[in-house]
Amino acid sequence: MKKMFQKAAAGGMAVVMAMSLAACGGSSGKDGGEAAQQGGASADGPITGQTLQVMISEEPGEGDALGNALKQWSQETGNEIKQIIISHDDMRSKFPSMAKNKDMPDLVATTFLHQLYPEEFVDMSGVVDLSKFNQSALKIVGKSYSSEAITGIPDQFTTTCMFYNKDAFAAAGIEAPTVDKPWTWDQLYDNAKVIQEKGNVKYGFAADVSRARYDILMYANGGSLVEQDGDSFKVTVNSPANIATLTRFVQANNEVMPKAIWAGGTTDNPVEYFKNGDAGILLSGSWNYNTFASDISKFEFGVMPTPKGSAGQSAIIGGEALAIPANGKNVELAKQFVQWLFEPEHYAEFLQIRKEPSVMNDITYTPDTDKAKEEFAIMQNETNYVTDTFMVDENSSWRNYKDNEYRDSLKRAVSGEITPEDALNGFADALSQSSGWAKGY
Amino acid sequence: MKKRQQAFCHTRSFWMFVIPSLALFGVFFLLPLGLSIWFSFTNYDGWKTMEFIGLKNYRDILTNGDFYKTVWRTIVYTVCNLPFKIAIPLLLAALVTSKSLRGTTLVRTLVYIPVLFSALVAGITINWMFGQEYGLINYLLQKIGVDPLQWSLNPVLATVVISVASNWISAGYYMLLYVGGINNISKELYEAASVDGAKKTQAFFRITLPLLMPTTFIVLLLSTVNLLKEYALVQGISLGGPGSSTTYIVQYIFDQGFNQYRYGYASAAGVIISILFIVIAMVQFRATKGGGEV
Repeated sequence: MKKMFQKAAAGGMAVVMAMSLAACGGSSGKDGGEAAQQGGASADGPITGQTLQVMISEEPGEGDALGNALKQWSQETGNEIKQIIISHDDMRSKFPSMAKNKDMPDLVATTFLHQLYPEEFVDMSGVVDLSKFNQSALKIVGKSYSSEAITGIPDQFTTTCMFYNKDAFAAAGIEAPTVDKPWTWDQLYDNAKVIQEKGNVKYGFAADVSRARYDILMYANGGSLVEQDGDSFKVTVNSPANIATLTRFVQANNEVMPKAIWAGGTTDNPVEYFKNGDAGILLSGSWNYNTFASDISKFEFGVMPTPKGSAGQSAIIGGEALAIPANGKNVELAKQFVQWLFEPEHYAEFLQIRKEPSVMNDITYTPDTDKAKEEFAIMQNETNYVTDTFMVDENSSWRNYKDNEYRDSLKRAVSGEITPEDALNGFADALSQSSGWAKGY
Repeated sequence: MKKRQQAFCHTRSFWMFVIPSLALFGVFFLLPLGLSIWFSFTNYDGWKTMEFIGLKNYRDILTNGDFYKTVWRTIVYTVCNLPFKIAIPLLLAALVTSKSLRGTTLVRTLVYIPVLFSALVAGITINWMFGQEYGLINYLLQKIGVDPLQWSLNPVLATVVISVASNWISAGYYMLLYVGGINNISKELYEAASVDGAKKTQAFFRITLPLLMPTTFIVLLLSTVNLLKEYALVQGISLGGPGSSTTYIVQYIFDQGFNQYRYGYASAAGVIISILFIVIAMVQFRATKGGGEV
């Protein structure tokens, strides 16, 4: 009896293990089989009756333009949609494993994967007519970091911009700058001090914790991370101009900004500070506009042009692109959707839901109110301030070598742990060592 | 013949029960350990690049000032927290096993509940409580007229918050170990001490504490290891900031590997730290004689 029990237990365990192994190993084979069996694929006409797997970075919310477009396309073509949600941070670590295991979705909505791993994605020049698109957007959002290939088509096009609390400005007796008469960065810091004192806000100025936001200051003052050096680049992130910019930024954090945010000791979001009426001016981006319009009721907000530095104004554009993994199961189906989306009538409808600057020439978003029209015009104008130095930095693909270390260096300088000079020198050394580029300073 | 057959059956049963555990141990511990050691000699970036580079990673680590700062910070954090990791659960256990107190079952349950929380969830909750602008604690401080404290800006305060959270989340588990230890002490010893006129505090220091040495050793060892590899809690509370003032060694390794894609370098750091942890554990074993001798 005892032996029988032992045998039964061992046999049961073996069966369970075998089943679990089979369950783990069998999934891809099953999917492949399903994909092959799904009918309707035709080289001549549109593909029907298949499932398009789309990887997105967040749960679709209200005004889900991409989701709406996918649904409409699905109804028109008779294909199914399956959405996979993986956060931006997780995409970074999970995508290489997905690529290794050849377990790719058919379409990815991403801010960086197609640029970081261009060899894993389809070249979009063979999918859509690239001349119909805003070339800056294609270059910054769609182009690979390491080649000229356009591996993604922007479905979301954003620009950095500045929001302000109109009530706080009025209380402090400060007039907002205009496109024709922008402030300088020094004026912004000075006015932020006045707003903090008299504008009924805790902080005069707040900025997203993103190196892309900080870099606006750097480019405005004529700085850059790298400079072209023949066919290569040299590291210039620790130039005297950049050290001066960071020193001033650290000072601003001590005087008029919520220092804990940039010092890296909290996960507080400066956007919430602005929405709660605790910050007078916010450096963030156009993607916040619609949320602000619906959520802010305590005060009136506005959009103001970015201040000038010693070299002029600057802005950083960015966004999310639709990219097609080359090893996806339904590459042709994904191409079909992208082509459909960027047909003028479909994209115009998409843009009215997305409510943001357009990536296609000749198609623009038309806001409902005059206030929104004016403010969108300011944001659209910001895209003209993209500097050549930013383009050179982007072309260098410096983020392939070092990325988070830059923001961490800035944080350590703001926290007072190291000096701005040490922070930038340390990052310059690290970038130079990783990239093999010489140091300019 | 029959005996040999019986022995064979026993051996076979033994291996049938052991093999699944051994397989899991091999796949999830030995294999990653071996891979990690191998990666430490390469420039593996987590995907395509993996060239053998000899001892370069080890040389880079051992000449990196940030690495030493992080190790030192981790050791200071561990040493400063260890007394609390032992004293608080011991005190709680002494209280909840006391016959003269009521409601001890409820206290036991309440103290144990945080053990069930995910460290990350606990960290995020503590982060919310100690938030500088919108945190509960600063709100209450302001309500009673005290200036809000700079939890997120002052490295010492940030470390204190993490330490409080770490003790809060682990106290229940160690308390249970101590409760088990206290319940195993013969009641006769206390009765004899009482007859001899010993006070309760004397009984605690002369009987309870010495006889709990094996338990204390276990608590000491587990606490040391857990403090040295504190990760999820810190991620939830401070993300290693302000600056890098609460970045401990596991954050450092994680950041090098998963954020900066230096898997080889991170693996080498992991190997060095593993050796360091083993040495610390061995010293503890030696110093306390494994808790076996009172």
